[in-house]
Amino acid sequence: MPKILLTVVKNIFRKPFTVKYPYVKVEPPEGFRGAPVIDKEKCIRCWLCIKACPDRAISVNKETKKPSIWHGRCTFCGECAEACPTRAITMTKNFELATFDIQQARSE
Amino acid sequence: MTFVVPFGPQHPALKEPEYFRFEVKGEEIIDLNVRLGYIHRGIERALQERSYLHNIYLAERICGICNVAHTTAYCQTIEQLANIEVPDRARFIRTILCELERIHSHLLWAGVAAHEIGFNTLFMFFWRDRELVLDLKEMISGNRQISASNTLGGVRRDVKPEYVPTMLRVLNKLEKETKYYIDVCTSDRTILARCMGVGVLTKEDAIKLCIVGPTTRASGVDVDIRRDDPYAAYDEISFKVIIEREGDVLAKVIVRLREILESIRIIRQALKALPRGPLRTKVAPKIEPNEALGRIEAPRGELLYYAISNGTDKPERIRVRPPTYANIPSFKPMFVGGTIAEIPIVMASIDPCFACTDRVTLVDSHTGKARVVSFDELRGRRK
Repeated sequence: MPKILLTVVKNIFRKPFTVKYPYVKVEPPEGFRGAPVIDKEKCIRCWLCIKACPDRAISVNKETKKPSIWHGRCTFCGECAEACPTRAITMTKNFELATFDIQQARSE
Repeated sequence: MTFVVPFGPQHPALKEPEYFRFEVKGEEIIDLNVRLGYIHRGIERALQERSYLHNIYLAERICGICNVAHTTAYCQTIEQLANIEVPDRARFIRTILCELERIHSHLLWAGVAAHEIGFNTLFMFFWRDRELVLDLKEMISGNRQISASNTLGGVRRDVKPEYVPTMLRVLNKLEKETKYYIDVCTSDRTILARCMGVGVLTKEDAIKLCIVGPTTRASGVDVDIRRDDPYAAYDEISFKVIIEREGDVLAKVIVRLREILESIRIIRQALKALPRGPLRTKVAPKIEPNEALGRIEAPRGELLYYAISNGTDKPERIRVRPPTYANIPSFKPMFVGGTIAEIPIVMASIDPCFACTDRVTLVDSHTGKARVVSFDELRGRRK
């Protein structure tokens, strides 16, 4: 008898290993690198994040004169959050970023 | 009378586009021609356009599955260029990350191989256990796959003491499962019938064609960069180099599965010996003119980086030789003499990653001469 049959039979009586994702959500662990957000109150406009970004995803908003991150280019490496001297940029746990509205693909 | 069977660039059994031209007589394969270059991405050129620090994230994207291997090799080469010593703790964390990646890559490959021989039950089991390793990677580095942990002069994230019990528990579970899989793969009739004596690469061929990684270790060649040219913390850790003598697909499966057990041992030792200290050293953005060569043992074999600096914050030239590129010549001795039904599993047996491999060469179709195109010429043509 093939050895794998025993495990196969055992698995019939086990509950499924997979998580039914869109209905059941798993909380990402501490330190997960999701979408970065910028706290505008803390930002001192040193532009270190723009220098640190490997994908040139951060640009300056003309109206507010503060940086904004375009998620279409962001690779979620977290270099900007590391470079920020006032910790204005933080990586959230949000990873569901698909959207039809281009304005929502920007961090403020 | 021979027929030509084209295989690819678009084919259900290939995961990436590449063209193989098999010459067959009845069922038997007589000759093979490989044509690469369908997913050339121009990464080496792009590496010259960015600064050393930004290049880490580009090098990481050369291969998604072995991203830690690519960043380790890249950072190691640039550290040699700039004469930087990496802190001890960073070297150990790099070792842990590299080995976690090796486990997940080998399990992924074993799943693909099981799928290629039509054993989908085993495929599901392998990928179920791969999730455990990915969870560990997510816990340490903050992402399942692309870890972004390595940086010039060290690592960006620490392995915290509270992670260690979880890691040891998961590794114990993995060790038990892997032993069971080795048992299944060496005894199951379906696997033996499809893998034993198929796609044999002899030791002489492996040495002659300079094959690297688990493919050559399955043919009995004793080569491992981790032992021969230690990087990260491998010189302070004891481990065995896994060798099988047969050279067929089954030997390649067993080598990879036994390497998982060895990787688990390495991670346990590294976690035990993890020294205290800083995680990274400061690196100046500009690097004096110099050249360096770094190589590491990626999950698929020897990965080689060569870099030249010119005094600015951008490299003059970076050359990457991924393991699959070195393993492509092994196709011919493995295929010739076999049958058409063996093609998918033998092709999967070197764990090909074609996107890392592709280079461009211009060949004149009339004379058959290859030549290099200058950058100015390329720009002129585009206008």
